[in-house]
Amino acid sequence: MADIVLDKVSKSFPDGTVAVQDVDLEIADGEFVILVGPSGCGKSTTLNMIAGLEDITSGELRIAGQRVNDKAPRDRDIAMVFQSYALYPNMTVRENMAFPLRLAKLDKETINAKVDEAAKVLELVPLLDRKPANLSGGQRQRVAMGRAIVRQPKAFLMDEPLSNLDAKLRVQMRTVVSRLQKQLGTTTVYVTHDQTEAMTLGDRVVIMRGGAVQQVGPPQELYDHPRNLFVAGFIGSPSMNFLHAAVQDGSLHTALGEVPLGDRVRRELEAADAPRELILGVRPEHFEDAELVDEDTRRRGLEFEAPVEIVESMGSDKYVYFTVEGERASAAELEELAADAGAGDFAGGGGNLVTRLSAESPVVEGQSRRVWFNLEKIHLFDPTNGRNLTLHEGRAAGALAD
Amino acid sequence: MAVETTTRAKLRWGLLDVLVIVFAMVPVLWIASLSFKTPATLTDGKFFPREWTLDNYKTIFDTDQFVRALINSIGIALVATLVAVVLGAMAAYAISRLDFPGKGLLVGVSLLIAMFPQVSLVSPLFEIERQLKIFDTWPGLILPYITFALPLAIYTLSAFFKQIPWDLEKAAKMDGATQAQAFRRVIAPLAAPGLFTTAILVFIFCWNDFLFAISLTSTERSRTVPAALSFFTGASQFEDPTGAICAAAVVITVPIILFVLFFQRRIVSGLTSGAVKG
Repeated sequence: MADIVLDKVSKSFPDGTVAVQDVDLEIADGEFVILVGPSGCGKSTTLNMIAGLEDITSGELRIAGQRVNDKAPRDRDIAMVFQSYALYPNMTVRENMAFPLRLAKLDKETINAKVDEAAKVLELVPLLDRKPANLSGGQRQRVAMGRAIVRQPKAFLMDEPLSNLDAKLRVQMRTVVSRLQKQLGTTTVYVTHDQTEAMTLGDRVVIMRGGAVQQVGPPQELYDHPRNLFVAGFIGSPSMNFLHAAVQDGSLHTALGEVPLGDRVRRELEAADAPRELILGVRPEHFEDAELVDEDTRRRGLEFEAPVEIVESMGSDKYVYFTVEGERASAAELEELAADAGAGDFAGGGGNLVTRLSAESPVVEGQSRRVWFNLEKIHLFDPTNGRNLTLHEGRAAGALAD
Repeated sequence: MAVETTTRAKLRWGLLDVLVIVFAMVPVLWIASLSFKTPATLTDGKFFPREWTLDNYKTIFDTDQFVRALINSIGIALVATLVAVVLGAMAAYAISRLDFPGKGLLVGVSLLIAMFPQVSLVSPLFEIERQLKIFDTWPGLILPYITFALPLAIYTLSAFFKQIPWDLEKAAKMDGATQAQAFRRVIAPLAAPGLFTTAILVFIFCWNDFLFAISLTSTERSRTVPAALSFFTGASQFEDPTGAICAAAVVITVPIILFVLFFQRRIVSGLTSGAVKG
């Protein structure tokens, strides 16, 4: 067990592309850290550099206080679980799990004892004599994990280990991974492109974009206090709504009405280089049916009326999609998020508004509805660089803060 | 309706198969039939010998010439196959895994060698081998065989290596293997079908070669069977050697058949299934 420190680690390829840029990250002993981001953000490259499968162009990587930049993977004493599982097809499950121990030249009895123990933890005992070809996807995944835990390495690296499983199994295996990590207390770095996995699994989440770290923090902090537009849009499902907003005489003109501004945000906007156009971000759960909001809360927010497009009843609450007029919010970050989501027009990109209202709301498709939203929870972003203007000392305080 | 179509399709394919087999087998069976005929009935034009005899086989194994050539053939072909497969495996592995400068050139040149007309190399090789004093020796044949078998080996093997998921090798490295261990214990066993296929192809190429065998040898010391056959005289100089040549031809096809049968069991397709998401 050990801590892992990345000190200004960069990776560039001979053709000049920079895959990872100055990543600074300290992973404490026993911590579960998730690297997340859209494809091509450098998260897998970062993991491979920690593993030793890719060279580090510049910067320093330390495992347990020791510089390991030039060490071969086998000298780093870390285990890795691959997205493809990478089980050796010519070996049985037992031989697969024993492989790292045999390479470490342990005696037969110790090897057998360790394999049996790991197999018991992962409920693989009845499968030990089978070949990988005769296992289901979930079983293969467990064998791959077994092979990683069997030699008690300093750290686990997991490269999208669950993305080849079907949805139901993925949720199951998520808890298995989580329990296993807590049980063993081994430092773990986990790469995923799935923000749900990132939110549910890790102690801390590292969001990457274009080879650079965007924000590092516990999942809830990233959710509540996103540092920039990209983090705000990436974390959360359904994702945050983004609307175009124009600054005019100390208030904001948006498709949802005139948003009043508190002193703090106003001061930011008084600076000479302050942007005249902003992007307003509101999470779906910060909307509520205006009828269901009491007087006290009502004062902290703003109301607007819009036609209801679609109602999705989830039982516990309702996802209601509104059509709002007005200019689309546009920024490089939003386009990237849209491209990653595989959709030409991103749900939060304007036009459609996703809200999460109480189940009691009598909202009907095709009719207009008055909706309230919480001004203390909204975010304002600078479209040129994506910075969150409502963030003060790492805390997002909404638009009204003084 | 569907059953009818399948029966008819089966019949059609069956007929086609029989045609192909007959086309391929008739000359071979004819040779076999000739090898069992007595000198008197050799030219009677009958497919089945009227009088069966094993004299022809006795004759060839009685002469030292043939036995010696058989030993040469087996030895030279085995050594050349072994070296070509080992070298080819290493080259193919590098080609399929690494991106090194001159890779395209290497692949191109090896293709060029494979296509080069061998006959135009015979006289230069003859001169070179005489100078190097390896003319009419085993190495004198093994070296050119390796040269011409290598491109074949590299091509077949790199196709096989490319099919093996790279993740397996990474996993082996993470599990504590050196590059050599990863290759020997993970990659090579998976490439085994490819290695055996290549070995068979190279062996057959060496075994069947006549051009180099006849031009780069001069005595029984290193003459292989195809070359020795052309010097065959039979029991005495005045005898018609056709029967003996046929017997020898039958004998030299036997190792090839054995070789293929032996390795065929190991050429199991789908050996890699289950390695990665299947």
